[in-house]
Amino acid sequence: MNFIFTEDQIQFKDAIKSFLTDECTPKSIREGWEAKQSFNSDRWQSLLELGVLNSNLPEDKGGLGMDQVTLALMVEEMGYAGLPEPVAEQTFLINDLMPLLPSSISQAIEENYDAGAKYISIAHPLAPNPLFINNSAGLILFDSSECKFIAKDDMDFEIISSNDPSREIFKINSMKSTISSPENFEELNSAVSARGALMTAALLIGLAQKMLDLSSVYVGDRTQFGKPIGSFQAVKHMLADVAVRIEFAKPAVYRAAYSLSENNPKSALHCAHAKFMCAQAAELACKNSLQAHGAMGYTWEMDLHIYMRKAWSMMACWGNEDKQQDIIFKTLTSSSEELGVLYTF
Amino acid sequence: MKINFTNEQHAFRDEVRTWLASNVPQRPLLSLDTKEGFEQHRQWERTLNKGNWSMVTWPKEYGGRGLDLIQWLIFEEEYYRAEAPTRVNQNGVFLLGPTLMEFGTHEQKSKFLNAMATGDHIWAQGWSEPGAGSDMAAIRTTAVLEGDHYKINGQKTWSSRASYADWTFGLFRTDLNSERHRGLSFILVPLNLPGITVRPIPQLDGEPGFAEIYFDDVEVPIENLLGGDGEGWKIAMATAGFERGLMLRSPARFQQTAAKLLKLYLAKQDQCSPMIQAKVVEAWAQSESYTLSIYHTASKMLAGGSIGSESSLGKIFWSELDHMMHQTALKILGASAELSQESRDDAAKWIKGFMFSYAGPIYAGTNEIQKNIIAERLLGLPR
Repeated sequence: MNFIFTEDQIQFKDAIKSFLTDECTPKSIREGWEAKQSFNSDRWQSLLELGVLNSNLPEDKGGLGMDQVTLALMVEEMGYAGLPEPVAEQTFLINDLMPLLPSSISQAIEENYDAGAKYISIAHPLAPNPLFINNSAGLILFDSSECKFIAKDDMDFEIISSNDPSREIFKINSMKSTISSPENFEELNSAVSARGALMTAALLIGLAQKMLDLSSVYVGDRTQFGKPIGSFQAVKHMLADVAVRIEFAKPAVYRAAYSLSENNPKSALHCAHAKFMCAQAAELACKNSLQAHGAMGYTWEMDLHIYMRKAWSMMACWGNEDKQQDIIFKTLTSSSEELGVLYTF
Repeated sequence: MKINFTNEQHAFRDEVRTWLASNVPQRPLLSLDTKEGFEQHRQWERTLNKGNWSMVTWPKEYGGRGLDLIQWLIFEEEYYRAEAPTRVNQNGVFLLGPTLMEFGTHEQKSKFLNAMATGDHIWAQGWSEPGAGSDMAAIRTTAVLEGDHYKINGQKTWSSRASYADWTFGLFRTDLNSERHRGLSFILVPLNLPGITVRPIPQLDGEPGFAEIYFDDVEVPIENLLGGDGEGWKIAMATAGFERGLMLRSPARFQQTAAKLLKLYLAKQDQCSPMIQAKVVEAWAQSESYTLSIYHTASKMLAGGSIGSESSLGKIFWSELDHMMHQTALKILGASAELSQESRDDAAKWIKGFMFSYAGPIYAGTNEIQKNIIAERLLGLPR
């Protein structure tokens, strides 16, 4: 039992944090919004060159063979920075699913994929509006019984508006030619659902931490009644409550990632648990952060909403808290799963 | 990262389980807050000590097993799984014991640690006073040095276990001209000394879980001073750290409650709305998270890290969780939730636990104080 990170894992986390601090500023995110081009190709290219985009592809496919725990730590930082490009989706969903995809589909993807250099978008009943189709090479589409791949040129799509301008989402109007396969669908579908839950959980915990940090700085600066408002207990306690929820959501993310890396049969439960905890933490972070910012928090000008909007989307996509609650309850009651001591690990 | 138990850890678990299976009393003991129940629990401390299980985390040189934190968590899991009796000497084993090891003299260690382990000395806490609760630095009970002893005058209150305990430890003002945190000393006081009056305070459940202690010219030998004269605050903070940290509430008890809550819900599901299901899941999810977090922290400490203000986060989390779980159980019980006598659905146990869960956000530093600590020390908010 050694529930701590390796030095390598911490180095990867620190490296991406430092890159994103410089390259993914609120200013650059807003520039993307104004240009209606939130996918910044230069930043995508840099992340490719840094080895992030293909980090979890196997070494013989041009990657680093990175495990899910390290990846989760990196995705947390992507959340913290509010990174608009779908790097979490590319790594956590597409790269990670490749070995499970029916061979006809994985071959088609590889032809379009350029070892992770090009984005492959994804749509699933839990996240039905695929991101950045115009910047992608194609789309993996899950429906109720099979998985399809459609190359970008083989579909007609249009942009639809998201409440988070960093997320350019699309509607597919028609498809000319698709490669589809029902092969391995059940396993594939539960794998993508679990990864979607864990990916959004990791993003949410980073987003929640960012909102808490912004709020902590703001209430230290803003003065009323002759004092920083952060010296008032009503304000302190609101933010302390957020810190508590974040603290106890984080280990659920790391455990779920570890379970995936070990092919633990309970990994779907662990991923649902992570999303459940992180969605609750992020929800409170949004509410209390906006409140701590006062009227400024309700403006477009303040950066807080960059992260809040993404958090709202991440709570909703890949199974919201209510859906995860349902998964957890069914798992705990359907099988021989026993609760209580001895069954956590 | 490796989140699995080793073979040695599994073997240790088996050893604990086997011992508990043949030693935990078949029938539950009487409440430890009754005179007879207190003595039954003292007897259980003796039984634990015979198997060398009474202070497993203490170093071997002090008669413990020198277990690391992961082994301690395993021990606790088995302890709660076996529904073994509440530790009547929690104050000694988990609070004063580690403090003595850090600050005590050789003589103090040999006198007190062994008696603590054997159950001969059951300890009460003596921090709060009528005018010093959350504001502990407002302590006014005085201990004046007169030759080879301190003369103590004043009053302590909310002193856990003091109704039947043998000894108390706490802070006393030894420098009469001092204010606030300065001039306080950490003194160990036998509760049978002349001049001491203990008045039990019945709690919400009707039993005297704590008491007032009056000191009227009580003479305590100078050897009972722990650490230096005037160093009491520093030592008390270390004690509070042990308490709020890992040792006060191990995850196992909350996991057990969550498991029982699910069982209760499944038995009565047809009488409940879907709102209750969401709460039952939340109980599992949060107790699972608390467990993961404590194993994460324990691993960090084993790797050389330390626990500081972070322990305030945990205190808030488990105390709110415990209350939520019991509140939910009472909703599931419906009209049975007023039964305080034995019934098939264990309503009385849930009610007792429910009432006790109101104490969680208060003892060991109220949650409001913990939130101030989090805001100021972890988030960097201004004082």
